[in-house]
Formats: sequence, structure tokens, C-alpha cells
Amino acid sequence: MAGVRGLPERINPLKAPAGARLALMGNEAIARGAVESGIYVVTGYPGTPSSEVIMTLQRFGKDLDMYVEWAVNEKVAFELALGASIGGARSLVTMKAPGVNIASDPILSAAYCGVDGALVMLAADDPGPITTQTEQDDRWFSKLAKLPTITPSNPQEAKDYVKVAVMLSEKLQLPVILRTTTRVNHTVGDVVLGATEPPRKFKGFKRDPPRFVRAGMRWNLERHKWLNKQLEKVEGILNELGISINEVHGDGDVCVVTEGVTYNYVTEALNLLGVKEGVRVLKVGQLYPPPREFLKKGLRGCRKAVVVEELDPYLEEAVKTLLYDEGINIDIHGKHDSLLPMEGELNVLMVAKALTRVIGVPLPKTLQVSRETPALPPRPPPLCPGCPHRASYIAILKGMSKAGFRRDEVPIFGDIGCYALSVEPPLNAIWTEHSMGASISMAAGMKLGGNDKPVIATIGDSTFFHSGIPALLEAVHKRINMLVIILDNTVVAMTGHQSTPSWSVTETGRKAKPVLLEDVVKALGVDNLAIIDPFDVDDMANVVAQYLRKPGVNVIIARAPCALMKVRAEGVKAVYRVDPEACIGCMACIRGTGCPAMYVDESGKAAIIEEDCTGCGLCAYFCPRDAIKEVRHE
Amino acid sequence: MSRGIKEVFNILIASVGGQGGLTLSRTIAIAAVSEGFSVRTGETLGMSQRFGSVTSFVRMGPQNAVMSPTFSEGMAHVMVGLELTESVRNLRYLSEGGKILAADTVKPPITASVGTARMPSKDELVGALTSVDPEAVIVPARKIAYDVGNPRAVNMVMLGVFNRIFGILSDDAVINAILTLLPGRRGETSVAAYKAGIKWAEENKVVQG
Ligand SMILES: Cc1ncc(C[n+]2csc(CCOP(=O)(O)OP(=O)(O)O)c2C)c(N)n1
Ligand code: SF4
Ligand code: SF4
Repeated sequence: MAGVRGLPERINPLKAPAGARLALMGNEAIARGAVESGIYVVTGYPGTPSSEVIMTLQRFGKDLDMYVEWAVNEKVAFELALGASIGGARSLVTMKAPGVNIASDPILSAAYCGVDGALVMLAADDPGPITTQTEQDDRWFSKLAKLPTITPSNPQEAKDYVKVAVMLSEKLQLPVILRTTTRVNHTVGDVVLGATEPPRKFKGFKRDPPRFVRAGMRWNLERHKWLNKQLEKVEGILNELGISINEVHGDGDVCVVTEGVTYNYVTEALNLLGVKEGVRVLKVGQLYPPPREFLKKGLRGCRKAVVVEELDPYLEEAVKTLLYDEGINIDIHGKHDSLLPMEGELNVLMVAKALTRVIGVPLPKTLQVSRETPALPPRPPPLCPGCPHRASYIAILKGMSKAGFRRDEVPIFGDIGCYALSVEPPLNAIWTEHSMGASISMAAGMKLGGNDKPVIATIGDSTFFHSGIPALLEAVHKRINMLVIILDNTVVAMTGHQSTPSWSVTETGRKAKPVLLEDVVKALGVDNLAIIDPFDVDDMANVVAQYLRKPGVNVIIARAPCALMKVRAEGVKAVYRVDPEACIGCMACIRGTGCPAMYVDESGKAAIIEEDCTGCGLCAYFCPRDAIKEVRHE
Repeated sequence: MSRGIKEVFNILIASVGGQGGLTLSRTIAIAAVSEGFSVRTGETLGMSQRFGSVTSFVRMGPQNAVMSPTFSEGMAHVMVGLELTESVRNLRYLSEGGKILAADTVKPPITASVGTARMPSKDELVGALTSVDPEAVIVPARKIAYDVGNPRAVNMVMLGVFNRIFGILSDDAVINAILTLLPGRRGETSVAAYKAGIKWAEENKVVQG
């Protein structure tokens, strides 16, 4: 549920005056930060927890004379931003952690050519993980890419640090990474606004091959030396600009080194433990390169140190290296001694417990509550009522059996998007979900590996545009027999309903040229193509059965709009109702669909929550007694 | 009738996606900031689908006192539940002596309907709540919301009950926050639901000192 939908209609967070104090979500604050720091080009690819930055700018900034649009994937987005910035425009590019991997190739080279106008890259990590396939820790990526990286600890800093990143980027002529975690991106906090700045656009671009042509190895060596020199300046520049994103709080000979949201946990944990003195907290805002001078000074006189951070021992290793270089040998606690876990997110209680062990104070009794709760059925997010993906997978499974295959014979490769929820009962459909586009290439790879049974790849429309095209090209070129089903709900649904390249007008009202899936698929040279409405379950099942037996790369575009988007735009025209007289309680409807608008009532019969039903009629399709009937709204 | 608070106050909102738990947390955050408090909310956003479990953390306190967006088990001063199963699921967050306010709605998860997990009865669920807080306030929130013409405004009914009991925010601040978030007719019926929640709390004498 994108938070943008919940923002006040009348208070525009991008236009409210400097000095106003608003309740803003971290990502809304970053959007405001972009307007406060004169950013002109904003692009990215949706991904939780980063999406609301662009969504906020699109919703509230239509007349701010900024370019704010989604790109087809993160690599393209980064290159768009880079192109803008080497021409002197200021740009912001947003992505979640896996998107950083997609964009990594141009990012690494960008450290060599550098920029003229600021380029700020938001890399949103997700300890927990709350909505991400891995718990990738992008602080390592900063080190790999050799790009200066800063991190905010709350929504106020999230806004302010956009400006810091812009200043740093232009001083150093390097892209700067703003690394966040979900608990900053998605936290609402009180934020005091600053003054806005007019967007900085194209200034000029001079031909400079040593800088911009990576074909010359001697040039590359020179640029690498230049890059390393620039990195040495980061801490000094921040000091020169009078920007203190590295802070010392309190004093004592026990030192806690921390960063980002965990700083809040440390401070509150110390309060809870009643520790008022004897502890010095070093809050690190500059993640890469680690602020050596700050740490050196801050750790002076420490008897022992504990590093509190989420995921990997990134700061811990930096602190250890530094102390080794300084010839200081003190105890350092953190991840390597298992004081804190390397997986999952931290919270106040976990940090408090860890600190009790280092500081030697007890945990207050009030925090030792433990409660037994009765066993409850879990409630993972299901596909929405009326979701077209549900119909598609029902048709796929039916087609499989029509073609004479058992369910355990034909793997259904899944991909990234709402349709991955088909892994849950009752559909139990997909076998894999890996990385964007991988459904097609992994299915193809399994055929290459010698599997002589059919394979099916299922992929969403946005995921297909993002990374599926080269995979399908590969399958066509190598003449692999496989069935590819593109689940075309016409939107990037899972991340909050963003546009795809098939739209003719974008969120900002920009006229766009719609790129049609069928044109792309045909141009790739597939052997057979069918476009079907998945709610015609039997028709789609027949084509699936037919295509599973036909050699070649066969593609079905299963096309029906996302139900949630459709209901928002058009409302519900009809719902379905169970006739309790006719219902025999066989549960074929519920077991067949798993529709969350359905439940079993006290008398053991199927029932439908009318306000949740969107009227797709799939449940009626399963009813052997014709007991589920359409009721049209006036 | 704002009573204010001197220390950080932790609210846990337990709901099913689509019930308006996020709107409720945002409403409280906006109202609290307009009253001069510091706030933090922590929630699991980012999935479009509804119908999953949703837990929201809302924290408010004097300026600069609130830092963490979440709180840990045993730290909620009050739990506002919009659905009984989710209320019980989140009991571990309630502090010793913490207050439970829960709507009496039950939405069986699909895992119960497809027969993969057992669903406790409504009485069992209420029993689990009262075993922790014998004075747990169970509110017929959907009926109240339905009666004011907006069956979806269970969240606002619960906000009325909450604010009548705790009185941390002024009614004006809450109503303004509702109207900023939900303009038009939805805003009006939401305000009506909020007031109906206050009225219910008064009529049923669940109001503490
Ligand atoms: C590299 C990468 N970028 C972004 C994401 C975030 N993401 C998860 S699901 C999704 C939506 C995919 O849209 P689509 O394929 O159209 O499926 P839908 O959700 O619409 O069914 C996105 C962008 C990701 N997981 N990995
Ligand atoms: S958001 Fe749309 S695509 Fe996603 S589950 Fe709901 S109806 Fe299906
Ligand atoms: S018609 Fe049936 S399957 Fe479709 S949304 Fe309504 S209850 Fe669910």
C-alpha cells in the first residue's frame, strides 16, 4: 500500500513554505529534499521501499518544472540520470537494493567519468527483509563502486541529506549514494521544511575522451587514480562545508558506533536501561569512505567499543581496520562475536539486550514480558479478489492436465510481481521466483540441461519489459521448446501501480508512445503467439494445452487489467452472492480460487463478503450447483 | 480537550490490509504533529494487495523525545485492533497494564477457509484478549460505522473510542487530520464515524478518569 495515497490532499509537501512542520514519510521527505536542492531529472524503477519518492514528486509536483518519470529498468534509469548530470543538470535516481545490481555496470564506470551536475542515487535496502528477495547490504556496493555514500537516520535527515549529497556530488564531481533502509523510507516523522531551489538544467557538454571514453586503458588507469584522490577528500569537504553528519553524543569510555535507523535504537535503549553517563555514542552519517578522522578522534580513550548496525559487520570491520592502523587494541563487540545477529532488522529491545552485556547493567523487569498467544491461522497477503493472475494460473494448471501432464511434471517458473503470490495454497502454482526476467532464462536453461518435459515461464508485463526481452530473444535464437506466458495486467501492480511502457500518457500527464507487448514479442521472432483474456478460463486452458505440445517458443499474453486498479478507476459494477439454499458446502469455490472475499459461514456454507467482491465470477465457475450468482449494482 | 503527554506514548494498530490501519496511523501522526508533538510511525508498506496482516506502530511524545519508528514486544501502552484475529496475533506487543481496544469484527484468513489452519471462535479470540486485559474494550465498530453510513470507517470509530479514553489529542486536531487525509464525502462520513466512536465510549462508560 503506497503511502502516497494517504497524503493530505490540501497540504502539498513539495510546495509548503520553508519552516512548516509536517508529518512526512521518509520518502516524501526525500521528494521534498529534491525540490529543495534544485534537482531537475528524477527517474528510477519502482521497488519497495524506494517507490514513494517518485510517486510523491509525480503527484504533487506536476507544475514544478521537473522531469519525473519511471524508466524501463534501473540500468537505463541510472544512465538517464548520468547523461543528464554530465551535461550539468542535477539528477536523482531511485531504486531498491536488487535494482542496484541491475544498474551496477554503469554505476562502476560512472565513478571514473564523474559528473558535473549533481547525481544522487537512492539505494534503498531492506533489513528484515520486509519486501525484498535478499538482505543485500549496499554499503559493500558503495565500497565496490567507490562512490561516496551517506545515510540518514530519520525522515528529517532523509530530506536534509539529499541536499548534502547534492553539494558533495558537485564538489567532488562524483555521483553520491544516499543509502537508506525501510525504517527510514517508510517512517512518518515530523519534518521541518527548508527553502526550495529552482531546478538546474543542462549547462553544456565538452568533448573529453579521457574522461568519458572507457576504451582507453591508460585513461582508465589515470581516472582510477583521480577517483581515489577524490575519495580522500570526502570527510574534509564535509567539514569545510560545515556539514556535521557524523556526530558524537555523550561521553564515557564505552563507545557505541552506529549509523542510520539503529542510532535511534541505541539512544532509546540507553534511556530504557537508565544509562546516563559512561557511554559515548558515535553516529556515523558518512558510510563510504568511512570517516577516519572522526572515528579516530571519537574512539580516543575508549576502553571497549560496540558497533550497532543492521545486516553485515560493515562498520565493525572499518573500525577494526582503523584501530589496527592506529595500534590500538581494545575489545570490539558486534557481529563477529555474535552479540548482534547478521540477519534481520534490529529493534530497541534487541539493542538494549546487547548493551546490557557490554555495559553490565540489567534489563528492566518491565521489558521482560512474555505472552502466550493461541495458535492462529497465518494471514499472508493473497492475490486480491478478482485478480487476473488467479484466473491465469487456474487456466495454466487446467491446460497442463488437458495436455496430459501431471502437475509435478511441468515446472512453472515464476518471476517478480504480484503473481508470485500464486505460490501459496490453494493455487500452489509457481516453482521458482528468482530475479527479474529469470523465469524465461531459467526455464530455457533447464531445457538446455536436458529436461525433455515441457517447461512454462510466467512473467509480468513490467518484468518482461524490464529484463524479459533479452531472455526471450535468447530462447528464440537457440530454438528452445518452451511456453512463455506474459501476465499483462497493464501496470506495475505490486509496488503501487506505476506506469509501464505500454501506457500512452504517464502519471505526470506526459504524452508517451505506447510500446505494445505483442509488437515486441512478434519482433523477437517467437513461433506462436496468442492474446487471451484469462477470465475465459477454458479458452486459455485450451491454448495452454495446445502450446505445451507444439515445438518452438510459444507465447501467450494473458491480458486483463489489475483488479485493484480497475476497481479504483471504475468502481464495482456487479458482485457475486452465494445462494445458501443451493450451496451444498463442498467448498469447490473456495478451494479452487482462494479468493479472500470468500469465507465459510457458521452453517458450513460458502459466503462472500460483498464489499470485498469485485465481481470476477471465478468462484461461480467452480460451483457444481450453480449456487453463486451475479448481482448487478444499479 | 487535549490532555497531552509528558513521555513517549506507544500505540499498536493491528488490522487486516484494506481495513484502514494505515490511514488510522497517518491520521494520528498528522493530528499529533499539528498539536506540537514529535511522532514516528513504523509500518510495513509497499505491497499493493490487501487482506494480509498489517501491524502499524505509532509513537508520539514531546519534541525530540521520539526516535525509533518501532517499539518492541511489551512496549505498547495501547493496542487498537480493527479485527479480532489480528488483535490477538499482536498481543505480545502490549505492555504490562496496557489497554486493549478492539473492534469485534472477525475476518477469517483464507488459510482458515481453505482448511490448512484452524480458526479459533470469536469467543476464544475475545477470551484471549480479556485474559491479558480484563477490561479490554470490545467495540461493535462495524455496526457503528454502518449506522453512520460508512461501513468502511471502522478505523475512525476506533479512533473516537481511543481518543475519548486517552484524550491525548484535541478533537479539532483529529477532525482536521481526518479531513486533510480524506477530503469530500469520505471525509465527512469518517468524521461522523469518529464522533460516533466517542459517543459509544461515553454511553458504554468505558471512559477512564
Ligand atoms: C531488480 C528489481 N527491481 C525492482 C523490484 C521491485 N518489484 C517487485 S515486484 C515488481 C512489479 C513487477 O511488475 P509486473 O511484472 O508487471 O507484475 P505485477 O506486480 O503487475 O503483477 C517490482 C518492480 C525487484 N524486485 N527487483
Ligand atoms: S494488485 Fe492487482 S495484480 Fe496485484 S494481486 Fe491485486 S489485483 Fe492482482
Ligand atoms: S466473484 Fe467470487 S472469486 Fe471473484 S472477487 Fe467475487 S467472490 Fe472473489
